[in-house]
Amino acid sequence: MEVLKEKVEEEAATERAEAAERGEKLLRPLDARREEAPMTQEMLRDLEKKLSEIEIVVPEQPLTFTKDSIDISKLPLSYQSNTLKEEHLLQVADNFSRQYSHLCPDRVPLFLHPLNECEVPKFVSTTIRPTLMPYPELYNWDSCAQFVSDFLSMVPLPDPLKPHQKGNCFDFSTLLCSMLIGAGYDAYCINGYGSQDICHMDLTRDVCPLTMKHKEMVQEEEKVPSKKYAIKPPRDLSSRFEQEQEMKKQEEMKGQEEKQRREEEARLLEVEKANIDPLHGLRVHSWVVVLSGKREVPESFFIDPFTARSYSTQDDHFLGIESLWNHKNYWINMQDCWNGCKDLIFDLGDPVRWEYLLLGTDKSHLSLTEEEDDGMNDNDDVENLGKEDEDKSFDMPPSWVEQIEISPEAFETRCPSGKKVIQYKRAKLEKWAPYLNNNGLVCRLTTYEDLECTKTLEIKEWYQNREDMLELKHINKSTGLNIDYFKPGHPQALRAHSYVSMQPEMDRVMEFYETARVDGLVKREETPSSMTEHYRGRSDFLSYRHVDFGPRVKKLALNSAESNPRPVVKITERFSRNPEKPADEDVAERTFLIQEERIQLRYHCRDDHITASKREFLRRTEVDSKGNKIIMTPDMCISFEVEPMEHTKKLLYQYEAMMKLRNEEKLSRHQAWESELEVLEILKLQEEEDDAHTLAISIYDTKRNEKSKEYREAMERVMHEEHLRQVEAQLDYLAPFLAQLPPGNKLTRWQAMCVKEECLSDFKQRLIDKANLIQARFEKETQELQKKQQWYQENQVTLTAEDEDWYLSYCSQAMFRIRILEQRLNRHKEQAPLKYLALEEKLHKDPRLVEFLKVFV
Amino acid sequence: MHRLYNSLEPRVMDEDMLKLAVGEQGPREEAGQLARQEGILFKDVLSLRLDFQNILRIDSLWEFENLTKLQLDNNIIEKIEGLEQLVHLVWLDLSFNNIEAIEGLDTLVNLEDLSLFNNRISKIDSLDALVKLQVLSLGNNQIGNMMNIIYLRRFKDLRTLSLSGNPIAESEDYKMFVCAYLPDLVYLDFHRIDDHMKEMAESKHQYSIDELKHRENLIQSRLEDEQAQQEELEKHKAAFVEHLNGSFLFDSMYTEDVEGNKLAYLPGISELLQAYKDKFVIICLNIFEYGLKQQEKRKLELDTFNECVQEAIQENQEQGKHRIAKFEEKHLLSLNAIRDESELTNFEMKIVEYGKDITELFNVLMTLEMQLVEQLEETINMFERNIIDLVALFIENVQSLMAQCRDLENHHHEKLLEISINTLEKILKGDVDEDLPDDLRPLFVDKDTIFNAVGASHDIHLLKIDNREDELVTRANSWCTHLVDTIHKNEIMRNRRRVKEINQYIDHMQNELDSLECSDVID
Repeated sequence: MEVLKEKVEEEAATERAEAAERGEKLLRPLDARREEAPMTQEMLRDLEKKLSEIEIVVPEQPLTFTKDSIDISKLPLSYQSNTLKEEHLLQVADNFSRQYSHLCPDRVPLFLHPLNECEVPKFVSTTIRPTLMPYPELYNWDSCAQFVSDFLSMVPLPDPLKPHQKGNCFDFSTLLCSMLIGAGYDAYCINGYGSQDICHMDLTRDVCPLTMKHKEMVQEEEKVPSKKYAIKPPRDLSSRFEQEQEMKKQEEMKGQEEKQRREEEARLLEVEKANIDPLHGLRVHSWVVVLSGKREVPESFFIDPFTARSYSTQDDHFLGIESLWNHKNYWINMQDCWNGCKDLIFDLGDPVRWEYLLLGTDKSHLSLTEEEDDGMNDNDDVENLGKEDEDKSFDMPPSWVEQIEISPEAFETRCPSGKKVIQYKRAKLEKWAPYLNNNGLVCRLTTYEDLECTKTLEIKEWYQNREDMLELKHINKSTGLNIDYFKPGHPQALRAHSYVSMQPEMDRVMEFYETARVDGLVKREETPSSMTEHYRGRSDFLSYRHVDFGPRVKKLALNSAESNPRPVVKITERFSRNPEKPADEDVAERTFLIQEERIQLRYHCRDDHITASKREFLRRTEVDSKGNKIIMTPDMCISFEVEPMEHTKKLLYQYEAMMKLRNEEKLSRHQAWESELEVLEILKLQEEEDDAHTLAISIYDTKRNEKSKEYREAMERVMHEEHLRQVEAQLDYLAPFLAQLPPGNKLTRWQAMCVKEECLSDFKQRLIDKANLIQARFEKETQELQKKQQWYQENQVTLTAEDEDWYLSYCSQAMFRIRILEQRLNRHKEQAPLKYLALEEKLHKDPRLVEFLKVFV
Repeated sequence: MHRLYNSLEPRVMDEDMLKLAVGEQGPREEAGQLARQEGILFKDVLSLRLDFQNILRIDSLWEFENLTKLQLDNNIIEKIEGLEQLVHLVWLDLSFNNIEAIEGLDTLVNLEDLSLFNNRISKIDSLDALVKLQVLSLGNNQIGNMMNIIYLRRFKDLRTLSLSGNPIAESEDYKMFVCAYLPDLVYLDFHRIDDHMKEMAESKHQYSIDELKHRENLIQSRLEDEQAQQEELEKHKAAFVEHLNGSFLFDSMYTEDVEGNKLAYLPGISELLQAYKDKFVIICLNIFEYGLKQQEKRKLELDTFNECVQEAIQENQEQGKHRIAKFEEKHLLSLNAIRDESELTNFEMKIVEYGKDITELFNVLMTLEMQLVEQLEETINMFERNIIDLVALFIENVQSLMAQCRDLENHHHEKLLEISINTLEKILKGDVDEDLPDDLRPLFVDKDTIFNAVGASHDIHLLKIDNREDELVTRANSWCTHLVDTIHKNEIMRNRRRVKEINQYIDHMQNELDSLECSDVID
């Protein structure tokens, strides 16, 4: 084996040398080269510290730890020493590195095997531990990246020119890469150069993705080809010349506006363009590339692990790549990076563009499923096509890092200490872990008017697990308008609520989940003097109700405590067409003018008509000349009918219609009143919720759900008690009697007999005592009752009603008690002999007495 | 059963009796006062109760057109009659009468609840029209045959049945039988049928029921087949090419053709005839398919036309509605303003203004309507031209195909003639075929006879073809003219209606204005 390995090493070394030579010729030096820096062990050590921290340290304090905070001795053995194979790999790497620095003296030394937290050099590829997380949320790259960016806290490089001091971006990308490979992506860590913004996780010049509005897809309305018999439009008699002139004028105006806007934009851009970074192109950064081919990734892309955003491989932020690696191999970029990463080709199988460190690593030592292994091997085969000496290849040793484990708590908490703040251009995004804030706040986006973030424009707050299902609160600072959005499940099925103030009877709009409501309410708008409601899908076809309120009538102070509803002036209701009724009988709109005692009806229009029937009822209570009440006169109902009908002219019909309408008017008023009450209720609920904010906890959440916890504890307690009872059941009857005998001696027959007799007689006595006790109580109760009865008979005449009541209730209670006692006594009498026999039986079978008693039986 | 009113004289249902009943059962209190003032029309009555009136004969009910509920129980009616007009009836009670047969219910298609309790009925029938029947009460009658129950199977909605007190109800198997044959029944003799009972009944009578079901299914499927055939035929008729999808026309040519049939027995003719028939049928099929295709085309044309016209009318209506809505909005304001106005000059000014508004609305609406009329006229004319062209083309093509038929016939005729003459010559020569049928011999006496016979056959054939062609052409043409006429007529009707509607509306508005003026003058 040793020989073989050496051979491999030699071969690899020669190949590397050749390739490096080629590479040198191809590689044009970058404009500015950094000075030779010492090895980057320290950086990796830091990285390893971080990684190990993920596995073992409680994530509540990840920011505060220092180098000493990790107890090295607690780390597994693989962290503290290198295996033979790893040592061998390090040698290979050293050799490779030497040749490389010899062949490419003007390139930065390779980043190959930094020291980990135990001061042990480890090869970078072995720090990648592909792991598939047990959380379905982390299966896709975007959520994965988001998690990593949230989970680790970013420490900026203090000196961007010296990448060996701190390298948090490497932690990020290593972790992300491990997770992505675990999830089946073809992902690689990259060591390269990024722009200042990227390296410092500075998003202040980016527009927050949450503020970007989705561009509405403008659907081109399909022009229906005019049909054969389409009628010709009437001739247009307006002047075309005038129209053209008008058009021209408008275009001019538009052009001017456009120009102004463009100027404005240009000005803004200039302002925004900050001073140019002097270290442009030198800032070391590490990020992840996902290559196309696996998991249906159509195109290779970069992921910046700090921000979790994906960039195309052509993005301006990425200025160059030194090397990249995954858990199996290490490649050095031999392509020119004068144009950033724009011209790079990510074909890792091409030895001219990418110089590899290990030859065809086709075996994997991952904790992956067989299938995935196979897939990777295939891929490797393709990559290593044309290299015949596969059997001589050197394997990458298995990762020395422990399996990455993230506890559910840590996964839920996400960010260190559960909080994260990101500054965007004109916006600030704050995130919290769920249940961290006791009002359920998980995310807040503050948008500012100016670049300095001093004037707040609007605030958006996202909530989770709220009992009232509040999801998003949108506060517009400039207009003072608040909009609350709710998830389905609000007690009143509220969907959205926009308001300026929480005071009742002010301007507000409430939207509802109408399918969850019995009354099918969709929307309710309120102004100080009116309320409009929209309905959908009602069986009575009501679609709209508008209520006008008059000014509140001042009442005397007499009953001020009662609510004083505003008087209703007018109710307008609209109905959609009921297909079962003829149009002339189907009311489209009815208006109750309550103070004028007038009711107006407008019916639906027939399909082939343009006018609709109308009817107006006037309620007048008058008395005719003879003093009889006039019930109905023709002038009390004015109607216009599209097609006059016989029966509607009748007074009886009109009278009946009017009576019906008056009932309905009452109903409508009642409903309006109920609506008002509901608004009050919703407002009250919201206020309460804002004050108390209890959070709903899923019944599956065993950690937080107090109720289930209590239940579980109660169950445990019951179990415990049950256990105690069982112990009691095995109580020793004989113990007190046996204790009276001299200890140590064996029982004699006579003694046994005595013990048994004693035990039985004692038990008998107990039974008799109990019976006596019950008897005594019974007698006492009876006597008392008799006394009371006597007293009652004596004082019957003078008793007040209250006393009598009291007496009667006492009697019934006493009778009840007596009955119960009687029953108890009877039962006891019945059961006492049985119990006695049972005890005797038990004593017979008692192992301590059995041998003595047997003889007698 | 002893009846209290047995001593009373039988009464006749007359106007007074009905009026009294209506008045008694009409609205109460204030509404009743009003009703008395105005009087109630019989046709407005929805429900009428005429029990314990000792009525012998049902009469004078034709005015109650809208009646839905009628109670005639506890009378001495002997025959169900005079109910033909009451087609809206849902609920009919004829219990405790002397009816002997079910009859006179054929028009009451809406009936759901029928009670014939305590009568003298011995057979259940004549209920075919009552397809909505849900409740049937036939207790205390004289029904003695179980087979009457099978009759009730046709009522799919029947849920409640009472038959107790009939001779059949005394039979041991009665309940089982009813449950088995009427599986949808829920209540029998005022008791709910439990599932256990149903199951038992089903298993008991399973065999006979299955047979019955099978028979019913057969009848059902036959009916459906017939219906489908009928529909197909209707479709063909609409395309004017019915019975052309086969040898029907050819066969009809030979049904009345005595000589032709006789001549078919000549040697060599049968092959000739077969070839002729094949060719003829092919042409017929061509005509048939072409006809169907043309029918599709015409239908498409008509649909497009209808759709376009409908759209145009709809749009115009929307415009009109919009105008009226706008006017009404303004009208409400101005009416209020006029009412509130106290100064006479201002008042008059406003009235005039309002009057102007009304006139303007009228003008606008009428302009819209005129515009639509013009547009539609143009479209209709275009459609008329197109449809006439289409029909003409169809007729032309059919005629040319028919001509082909005629050519075939002529050809066949020549061939037939040739063979006939040959045969005749043979016969004259004495070189007679032995197998010549006897009834052919009289034809082959001389040349004229055979010529006449063949010619007659030919004439009949040609006549048949001509007749079919004529029929097709006339029907197609008449369809076309009828269609065009209807379209014109409908358009005129529509226009009239709309103009009337507009006028009515404007009149109403004007009246309202006038009444305002009047009231003011009075004030």
